[in-house]
Amino acid sequence: MVDPPARSPLGSGTGPGGPAAAETLLQSLARRGFPNVVRSVRYHRPRGPFCGLGHCAGCLVRLNGRPNARACRHLVEAGDRVRTENAWPGPRFDLLGALDLLFPRGLDTLHGFRRPAWATRTYHRVVRRLAGYGAAPDPVAGAVPGPAPRGEATDVVVVGAGASGRAAAASLVGHGVRPLVVDRSLGPVDLAGADVVSRTTVTFLPPPRPDGPRPFVLLGFEESGRGVSIRARAVVLATGGYDASLVFEGSDRPGVIAADLAFRLAPDGEQLPFARALVFGGGSRARAVLDRLGPSVAALAAPGDIGPDVVRRASELGVPLYPRSLLVRARGRSRVRSADLRARGRTTRYSVRCDAIVLAHRRLPNSPLLFQAGARMTWRSPPGAYFPETGPDGATSVPGLFVAGSAGGFAEDDRRVSGERAARGAATGEGAREPGAPVPPAAPSELDGYYRELLAERRTGKWVVCPCEDILLEEVEAASRAGFRGIEVVKRYTGLGTGLCQGRYCLPDALLLLSHLEGRPANEVGYITQRPPLVPTPLTALAALANEFGEEAVA
Amino acid sequence: MRRDTYRAVVVGAGIVGLFTAYRLARAGAGPVLVVDRGFLSGGGSGRNGGGVRQQWETRATIRLAREAVADWKRFGAEFGYNVWFRQGGYLFLAESGAELERLRRVHDVVRSEGLGSTMLSEDGVARRVPGIAPGATVGGSFLATDGTLYPFPAVWGVYDAARSLGVEVALGVEARGVVARDGVLQAVVTSAGTVRAPTVVNAAGGWSGEFSRAAGLDVPNVASRHEILATEPVRPFLDPMVVRASDGLYFSQTMRGELVGGVTVPHAPGTGRGVPSSPRFLTGMARALVGLVPRLAGLGVLRAWTGYYDDTPDGLPVIGDDPRLRGFVHADGFGGHGFMLAPAATRRVAAAVLGERSDLDPAEFSPARFLPGRTAPAAERLQLG
Repeated sequence: MVDPPARSPLGSGTGPGGPAAAETLLQSLARRGFPNVVRSVRYHRPRGPFCGLGHCAGCLVRLNGRPNARACRHLVEAGDRVRTENAWPGPRFDLLGALDLLFPRGLDTLHGFRRPAWATRTYHRVVRRLAGYGAAPDPVAGAVPGPAPRGEATDVVVVGAGASGRAAAASLVGHGVRPLVVDRSLGPVDLAGADVVSRTTVTFLPPPRPDGPRPFVLLGFEESGRGVSIRARAVVLATGGYDASLVFEGSDRPGVIAADLAFRLAPDGEQLPFARALVFGGGSRARAVLDRLGPSVAALAAPGDIGPDVVRRASELGVPLYPRSLLVRARGRSRVRSADLRARGRTTRYSVRCDAIVLAHRRLPNSPLLFQAGARMTWRSPPGAYFPETGPDGATSVPGLFVAGSAGGFAEDDRRVSGERAARGAATGEGAREPGAPVPPAAPSELDGYYRELLAERRTGKWVVCPCEDILLEEVEAASRAGFRGIEVVKRYTGLGTGLCQGRYCLPDALLLLSHLEGRPANEVGYITQRPPLVPTPLTALAALANEFGEEAVA
Repeated sequence: MRRDTYRAVVVGAGIVGLFTAYRLARAGAGPVLVVDRGFLSGGGSGRNGGGVRQQWETRATIRLAREAVADWKRFGAEFGYNVWFRQGGYLFLAESGAELERLRRVHDVVRSEGLGSTMLSEDGVARRVPGIAPGATVGGSFLATDGTLYPFPAVWGVYDAARSLGVEVALGVEARGVVARDGVLQAVVTSAGTVRAPTVVNAAGGWSGEFSRAAGLDVPNVASRHEILATEPVRPFLDPMVVRASDGLYFSQTMRGELVGGVTVPHAPGTGRGVPSSPRFLTGMARALVGLVPRLAGLGVLRAWTGYYDDTPDGLPVIGDDPRLRGFVHADGFGGHGFMLAPAATRRVAAAVLGERSDLDPAEFSPARFLPGRTAPAAERLQLG
C-alpha cells in the first residue's frame, strides 16, 4: 500500500460567495451535505462528525499541511488548503473499506498475527500502514519559530464563558476583582471589566496539590498554535457539560450525532444537512433539540419516560414518540438510513426511517480539569457520572478551586446563581476545606439496566465502543471474560479511551457496560487518570513555553 | 491468599515479577505467590516506552539483551499474545565528534559480541530520520535488530501463563517487610497477613529500594521519576527508535502511529503514588523534538505520563541472593530497562531462587558489589529518558 500522492481535495473551504462571517470549516462543509471527510482508523468505516466540540475523530482533515486538524475547530480563512487524509481514493468510496467487510468480527491484534513467524515482518508492515489518521506533517526547510507564547498572571481565572462562567466573571467584577476569563469556543467573548483569553484550551500543569503551593498553573494553547501559561490564586471552573454517546450497532455511523453538534452544525437552525432526525432522549435537552430542529425531526425515542413538556412540544410538531425504548441499531453504511428500536422489557421492534440520530439522552459534566486538579468526586446516577463534592459556594475539596454551572452538577436554572456564588467564594477566600457532598439520593437512572437489556440483542455487525480507536464491544467483553477487571486495566487491555478524545466519549458508556459485565456498581469499576494536556496540543505551542519552565524546580 | 506457606513470594506483579513466577512454576518449584499493591500494569511495566536494545557499554548487559531479543521474537508463539515486537533498530545520534567517538567505542564492543551494528554518516542518519534538521547531527550508530514492542500484551501473556501454571497473583496486596531469624528468611509480611516462605523475590521496580530497606537491608537503589509523552497518531514515517545520548532524548513511532518518547529532566528522587506530569518535561521534550525534527511542530501531544526508574549507582541491575539475608533474592535496579531485559534476566533470578548456578558472570549484577569495602566491577552510562 502506497500513500497516494494526492488525497481528495476539499477545496479552499470557501463557497461561491466566500465564507460566511466566522464560519467553521465544518459548517462550511455541512452546507454541501452531511460531511463525511474521514474513515475510521482501523477498519476504514465511514465516519462523520459526532461532537462538534473538537474532541471526536469525526471531522479530521489535513489543513495547510498539518494532519488531524478538526474541521469544527477551524474558522475558514481564504487560502486554506484542506484535504481528506486517510481514505483512498476518498472518504465516500475508500478501497480500504474492504477491511470492514472482510473482517465482520474485527481484527484481533492482541492475539492474532503471530503465525507463521516468517510472516512477522509483513504483518508489521501492513498493519503499520493502516495505522494513524493523517500522514506526518509536511517536511519543512528548517526550524519554524512558533508564535511567541503568552503568559498571564491574575488573581482569579474563570475557565469557560458560558452562562455560569459569564455570571461568575460579572460577579467578580462586582467584588472588585478583575478576572481573567479563558474560553475555548471560537466565537468572540466580550465581558466588561474582565480580561479574556479566547479560543484557548487549558490543562492544569503541574496538577495542583491539595495543600500544595499556589498559584495554580494552567498551560494551554490558542487555536493559532500559540502557547499560553496562566497563573492564578483561585480558579473558577465553569466548563459546562456535553452530550454523551451511546453504544449500539452502527452507533459510529455518519449521521449519529450528539445534540451538541446539531446545535453547532447550523447555529441559525437553517440549512441542516439532514431532514428526518430521530431524537433520542426524553428530558430538557431533547426538548431543546425539538425547539431548535422542529421540522427536521421525524421521531423521538427515549430510554425511559418522556417528560410532559417534551410530549406537548412533540405533539404540536406531530412527532411520533417511542418512550422506554432501546436504540438497537442504526442501519445504512455511509449515512444513517433508519433506526431499529425495541420497547424495553418487550420484544416489539420498531423501525424508524431517518437520516440522522441526535443523541440527547444524557448530559455529562465536562470534568477532566476537576479530576486533574484532584478534586474529590462522587458518582451520581442519574446521569451516571462523577461530580465534584462542593460547598455552598461551589468550593471543591481543593482550596482555591471553585466550580459553577453544569460542571459542578448544578441545575440548569441555577447556572447563573452558582456562578455568582463561586465568584463570591473565589473573591473572598479559599473556600471550604471540607466541602460536603450535596448529592441528592441516588435515583435510578434511565440507563440502569439499559445495557443489560441491550447486550441480550442479537448482533449482526460491529458494535464500536471507542470510535477513535475502533475498539469493539466484543473486545471489552473478552477482557472481562479473561478476568481483567476495572477500567484502568480494561483500558490498557483493549486500548479503549486512548484515542484522540482521550476517553471523553467512550468511558462514560464503558463504565456502564463494565458495571454490567463485572457485576458491580459503575463507581467501583473506577475511572482513568486524566492525563495532560487533555486535548491534542501542538508541540510548537509547548516548545515555546520551554523557557518559562526550563528552570522550574520539579518536586 | 489461599495458603499460609509458599515456596516463594514475589513482590511486584510487573513484567519482572510475573516472568520470575512463571519461570519458577515452569521449573516445578512449588507454590508461588505474587503480590502487588497496585493494579496490573499500573507501575513501570505499563508506563515504559517499549524499547528493546542491545547497544550497551557493558558486555554483560549486551549478552543479556541479545538473549532477551530472541525471547521477545518467540513471545507470541509461546504466550499467545502479540507484543508486536518490531525490529526497526535503535539509532544513536551524535552531536559532536566526541560523542561520535563514544558511540564508536560502544559500536566496537557491540560488534565484538557478534551483533551487526553500523556507524552512520550524517546522510545515513537523515535517510532514517526523515525531516531531521540539517546540522543536527554529525552521524550515529545503528543496530537493526533492536526494536520496540507493546508492553501491555506482554504483561497479560505472562500473567495468563503464570496463573495457568498455578501461580497465585494477589493484586491490591502490599508487601510490608519480612520476618527473619539468624539471617535466614522465615516469612513475608503483607497487608493481607503474614505468609511463610523460604524465599522472597524483590521485583518491586521503582519501589524495590523501599522494600529492601523494610527488610532491613541497606541498598543504594534510588527511585527516580521519568516522564513520557505520546502524540496523536500519524501514518508511519519513522522506523527506528531515535536516541540522543547527550540529553537522553528518545522517541519512536508505535504500531498505532503515535510518537512516544522522553528526555532527561532532572527530577528530585522520591516515590509516591500520585505521579503528576511536569510542565518542565512537557515543554522541554517538545522543544527537543521540534528542534531535532522541525516538521513535527504542528503535531499534537495527546498525553503525558510518569513512572519510576529503579536506579543503581553503576547503572546495572541487581540480580541474585543478598549475602546478608538468606532467601532474599534481588530482581531490581533495572534503571528503566527492566521491561526489555525481563525474559532473560528472570532466568538468572529463577536460578538464584532454586539455588542453581547461573551461567552469567555474577560480579557485574551481584548484590554483593554494593557491600561496604567493595567496588562495582563495571558501570553502564548509556542511559536514556
